[in-house]
Amino acid sequence: MIGLDVGSTAAKMVWIESGGLKFRITSTHNWKELVEGIDGDEIISTGYFRNSVPHRASLTELTAAIYGVRHYFPDAEVIVDIGGQDTKVIDVRNNNFIINDKCSAGTGAFLEFVANYFKIELNELGSMHAMAKRIPDINNTCGVFALSEMISQLVGGYSKEEVIAGMHYAFARRISYMIPQAHKVVLIGGTVKNEGMVAALMDVLNIDVLIPDEPQIINALGALKYYS
Amino acid sequence: MPVKKIGITALVPPELIFSCGVTPFDVNNVIPASRKYPGNKLCAWTAIWKDMLVKKEIEVDSLVVVAGGDCHNALVDGQKAAMSGIPTHFFFYPFDGDPEYLGSQLHRLSLFLGGIKSPEKFKEIGELKKQGQLLDKKRCSGKLSSSEAFRILISFSDLAGDLAGFSMIISDLQEKDIEVRNRVALIGVPPIFHDFHETAQSLDLQIVFDELPYEFIRHGGSNIQEIAVNYCGYTFARPLEFRIDFLKNELKRRRVDGVIHYTQFACHHMLEDEVLREKLDYPMLTIQGDLPGNTPQQVKLRLEAFREMLDRQ
Ligand code: SF4
Repeated sequence: MIGLDVGSTAAKMVWIESGGLKFRITSTHNWKELVEGIDGDEIISTGYFRNSVPHRASLTELTAAIYGVRHYFPDAEVIVDIGGQDTKVIDVRNNNFIINDKCSAGTGAFLEFVANYFKIELNELGSMHAMAKRIPDINNTCGVFALSEMISQLVGGYSKEEVIAGMHYAFARRISYMIPQAHKVVLIGGTVKNEGMVAALMDVLNIDVLIPDEPQIINALGALKYYS
Repeated sequence: MPVKKIGITALVPPELIFSCGVTPFDVNNVIPASRKYPGNKLCAWTAIWKDMLVKKEIEVDSLVVVAGGDCHNALVDGQKAAMSGIPTHFFFYPFDGDPEYLGSQLHRLSLFLGGIKSPEKFKEIGELKKQGQLLDKKRCSGKLSSSEAFRILISFSDLAGDLAGFSMIISDLQEKDIEVRNRVALIGVPPIFHDFHETAQSLDLQIVFDELPYEFIRHGGSNIQEIAVNYCGYTFARPLEFRIDFLKNELKRRRVDGVIHYTQFACHHMLEDEVLREKLDYPMLTIQGDLPGNTPQQVKLRLEAFREMLDRQ
């Protein structure tokens, strides 16, 4: 049996082999490569395209996230899943969830804009944040206006690294409005690999957040767990 | 002379309208399937009916706008419709539930409509509403699908403008045998998506309570004084606590497992969400709609996740 999470930007596959967790990740449009030679009856699917791929059973990424996170952190209270096109916050304590899929400012797409603007790779944002000496205020909660504010700060004398850190803070504040008070907050999703964003979020929330080793495969793992 | 068609924008006692010898036409009923995307808007419901009235895509002889105690967007868009030349009357429910006040409003409305000519309509509609109550019971026990029940109950605001025809539609309904799992209540204003009930059903959520349409079948009386007392219980026009007490009873009576709170973009009812969440002790999903059409994918995801959550409980 495999867990297959086909999201808006990446497809992830998880399976158990010789007692260990194995996984593969590719971009969404290449999802077929992952399941080559695998019977649809072996697949538990989740993610935005869960019903467009062959599957034995499917479940939403919200439920998958709960099962996947539980594998690493059985006492997680709140899960924050920062995806490419939306951000989901699940309060496991009372089975409540909120999804932001209306505004890009609190999603991975926002940071992608920033990386594109500076013509750098998405995964370089974290290390650049670490080099910032000051953090400019970027107050706009709208992605488009935050970008123009970012440009003003650059013109005003802040370095590229500092402005990137400012953008991480703007992003973190946007997300923090969705997160209820809790001690055990787990972050998942590809965007969570960005240490700069995580540092900003921890500072804004004023708590230590928990992050699994491979935050991007948690929903695929959860799909597998749910049906096994 | 053809019977006059009176546009209504929300609950206006149909007993009174029919008894004045004119027919009501609920201007909201055409919106979910309209595929209209109005330009200058807050709430799409009022913006679309206003546009359609002004452009004469909905033709009415006059209009009754429910404003006080219900919706201020309707009050403004109703005035815009009035400015286009449609004879318009503004109807106000009392926030404090004062039957004397509502009685005077109903008298003024009857004058606007030309006075009572067929008082027997009060009773005739009362009988139809009893049938509505029966249908509502049937859907709670799976003898009627929630989409069929909704289609009929929502039409009780104007009884499809034809009492005999509407009665036939009701008696033609075939009984079903549906397994009712995941019993949910749909509270708030009705969704602007025309296939919402079918969608919920396809995701294994059975809607056993439609809050607003239920208001359409539970009030009545055999003359103005009686309906003045009875319609004072119209929960949407009253203080939130009055509505919440009513909801608590209904949710318990219908043994619901969860509550879906539909909210409309730019509607003041959205502000009630946190209070409803706090006071109603059920798993609750809040969704928001804006423009008419099919239930969007994002809403489907929320419904499905909510169902999975109810499954886990
Ligand atoms: S949805 Fe809200 S704003 Fe729109 S007509 Fe209804 S009450 Fe008024």
